[in-house]
Amino acid sequence: MPSLFKNGKLKKTRQQESKNNPINTGKYIQDSLSANLDKIHQKTGNSPDVVIRQIKMGSNSDIETAIIYIEGIVDNQSIQEFLLESMMKDDKKTKVNKQNALELISEDMMTIGNVSPIHNWDDLFSTLMAGDTLVLVDGINQVLSASTKGGETRTISESDTQMVVRGPKGAFTESIGTNTAMVRRIIKTPDLWTESFKIGRATNTDVTLMYIHGIANDQVIQEIRQRLNKIDIDSILESGYIEQLIEDQTATPFPTIYNTERPDVVAGNLLEGRIAIFVDGTPFVLVAPALFIQFFQSAEDYYARFDIATSIRLLRIAMFLISLIAPATYVAVTTFHQEMVPTTLIVAIAAQRESVPFPAFVEALLMEITFEILREAGIRLPKAIGSAVSIVGALVIGQAAVQASIVSPAMVIIVSITAIASFATPSFDMAISARLIRFLFMLGAASFGFYGIILCILMMVVHLCSLRSFGVPYMAPFAPFIPVNNGDTVVRLPWWTLRQRPRLISVNTIREGKNQRPHPPASRGMVNRALEEGDNNEA
Amino acid sequence: MKRKGILLLLMTTMTLLLSSCWSKKELTDLAIVSAMGVDKTKDGRYTVTLQIINPGNVAGGLVGGGGTQSPPVTIYWDSGDNLVEASRRASSRISRRVYYAHTNLLVIGEKLAREDGINVLIDAFDRDPDFRANATMVIANHTSAADLVKTLTPVDKIPANKVLKTLEFTERKWGENVKVSLQDVMMGLESPGGKAVVGGFRMIGDYKQARRLENLQESAPEATLRASGIAVLKRGKLVDWLYGKTARGTVWILDKIQGTDINIDWGGKKEAIAYQTVRQKTSLSAQIKNGKPHISVHTRVEGDIGEMEVPVDITNPNVITKIEQSVRQEIKKELKKAIERAQKDKTDIFGFGEVIHQSRPNEWKKIKPEWNDVYFPKSKVDITVEAYVRRAGLRNKSFLSGVKEN
Repeated sequence: MPSLFKNGKLKKTRQQESKNNPINTGKYIQDSLSANLDKIHQKTGNSPDVVIRQIKMGSNSDIETAIIYIEGIVDNQSIQEFLLESMMKDDKKTKVNKQNALELISEDMMTIGNVSPIHNWDDLFSTLMAGDTLVLVDGINQVLSASTKGGETRTISESDTQMVVRGPKGAFTESIGTNTAMVRRIIKTPDLWTESFKIGRATNTDVTLMYIHGIANDQVIQEIRQRLNKIDIDSILESGYIEQLIEDQTATPFPTIYNTERPDVVAGNLLEGRIAIFVDGTPFVLVAPALFIQFFQSAEDYYARFDIATSIRLLRIAMFLISLIAPATYVAVTTFHQEMVPTTLIVAIAAQRESVPFPAFVEALLMEITFEILREAGIRLPKAIGSAVSIVGALVIGQAAVQASIVSPAMVIIVSITAIASFATPSFDMAISARLIRFLFMLGAASFGFYGIILCILMMVVHLCSLRSFGVPYMAPFAPFIPVNNGDTVVRLPWWTLRQRPRLISVNTIREGKNQRPHPPASRGMVNRALEEGDNNEA
Repeated sequence: MKRKGILLLLMTTMTLLLSSCWSKKELTDLAIVSAMGVDKTKDGRYTVTLQIINPGNVAGGLVGGGGTQSPPVTIYWDSGDNLVEASRRASSRISRRVYYAHTNLLVIGEKLAREDGINVLIDAFDRDPDFRANATMVIANHTSAADLVKTLTPVDKIPANKVLKTLEFTERKWGENVKVSLQDVMMGLESPGGKAVVGGFRMIGDYKQARRLENLQESAPEATLRASGIAVLKRGKLVDWLYGKTARGTVWILDKIQGTDINIDWGGKKEAIAYQTVRQKTSLSAQIKNGKPHISVHTRVEGDIGEMEVPVDITNPNVITKIEQSVRQEIKKELKKAIERAQKDKTDIFGFGEVIHQSRPNEWKKIKPEWNDVYFPKSKVDITVEAYVRRAGLRNKSFLSGVKEN
């Protein structure tokens, strides 16, 4: 199935390549081995990692063949065992002649799983660069490509970005094959379909679309397929490239495509009818369509019991609001609405602000920007110097700054609570957009007080409601309001009540059977028996 | 699309013109007024005394504290023909913008209250957007409002807070004072007869000592503030001060008492048993009989025995019943005293008129014009008291009964 799509895609890239590379005179592979090798040498710029091994075959050793692969991205062992050994030592070696050489090699000698013939140069190079091994025979205008992809990849390790206390630990790696396999290992149904794309003129990056046939919405799949096919760029280095090229709305601080490095999250989303986009070279897998509320949901919410999960979700949403409006509220209260605070508190704040030379807004801006600088520095810094940042940072937003009368202690508290709150959002993309919007809120608060904050909130809500992710309204179970789907939003009801998949995303909404509610055993017979046994001794 | 954009732009620019809390005021530019005193000068003008908080001296030595000791509040005053003029004129002495939103205490001088009444002042307070209608109003008892506002207090650094908290707790725990807000006073003055009760506060000691910081450095400050009496206002003017049991009876009928102490005689000893009320509920009802208003006051008290200075065996239920009866008599006496005093003042401070209005609207129309002066003083008031002893503290028998047995 995947190869079908691959071909379709390849035709397209070939057309593009021929348009863009006028040097490429001959489309098809020639008969002469030396001419072919020269062409390969020329095309790859004599790169030393392109290994060309020439072997003489046939009874008189008169048939020249060549094995070509690229060092490092191939599995050396399989080339050794299944190609070189069989071609050089095989008994049939003597039977080989110019007419049947390729046929014999492919059918009898190469003991590798996937072998396909290639006729043109574009295919040749794309398979070569992808890690396949090519077998060329002199006098035959055809090349055999053996699938020998391999080489060093990172092993599966624990997720760094989305941690859970309870739940599977393994995260995706940079290798797309491993990643799709990890999801396949979770969802063992033939309905888990994948489609392959190659995107990027230079990088030829493997991109795989994965969805569950019959659950995912065909229109959305078609839409994603179409948007992926439209991409014409030289490189795809990370899934972020794809995300930015296919998202519905660019002019928004909010992410409209979800990304994760957890296979269980991808599996869960696939089972809700979403579509995953795997990109080779990155552990971050895109999931679309994404809803606003999805960014506040952690994988663990589904593993923990519902009351715990619900309260934690509510906490996260409260934290999101705090990270949005806490500094803005402080600015508004201290510059516009002093009457709203209890007298003792306003006196305490006034006492702290007495010696601060800046207006509250400037003070807040100063501290927020300082914090953002510290955060950024902490991320990019080499680990060895990391502790220096925290020490200096504690001085800058802390006691020293307060003692120098540059900021008030209350402001330090506000900045700290904002910082902590912004880290409580499970999705980094959402947290960082909140950080950005926070400054807008502060500006609103500084110019209009609470009125400005409310104005900003209104604008934000209107904007959120206008967003779409692959045609699905971003605020989906709230606006439009879908009562059945609200069980898994800000709250997470028990699993047995969540009978339906999200209606706007999935075409097959029934997730589980009726009457799943657990009960204690109807009769107490079991319990009584146990008691009798216990009682025997005492009696 | 273009029209939509223009419309949106228009709407957003319109918001800029809307009046809201537009003008920004930095916290460090505000003079937070905690209390305001209004007095009358000899030439008939108003003197406004403002108690302004020095935040740095209140919040403790956090930032730049220590060093010179200065008082937590600073007083500014100025006079004018009306309140707004006086308060605006005061700004020539203050480096900051006078901010009334945290003015929780409003002190009216006794002279002003008695001679001019407070009716003329209220408009200014109610009209000002900053000033709060729930600010507590107090009438200076035998003191000028200025002296009361100037007094520094220990424990509560802001003197206004001391006054407010004292009133709040004494109203509930003792009941000889009331804490009423400007709003309550306004409602009372607007009702037929224009009556209101306002808490009284006085400064005890030397007024010069009261405003010195040294006053606070003594364990027993020479000059202090204390709640004192309830002022009875009629048509906005102060007509009478209520003290002691009369005051408590008044607060009782107003249904504002939570806990107080009632002493009863026992076994020949005066005030031998202290009964502490825990909860009480007073309800009023009215009837018209032969064109004469007939008011009934019903109060229900529950409480504990707090102290017994005579040996009493309270394990005996009959004794409890007897105690309850004595408490009833005692309370009834107090309520009666309060009502008689109010009738003498010809001021219906309890709101009996409203009760008649609610239950007998037609008859009320007839008696309304002469209610305070003719009908109220003559109306018959029925007082019924239900009193219960619920607990006796941690002991049963009195300690004295144990001592006696030995």
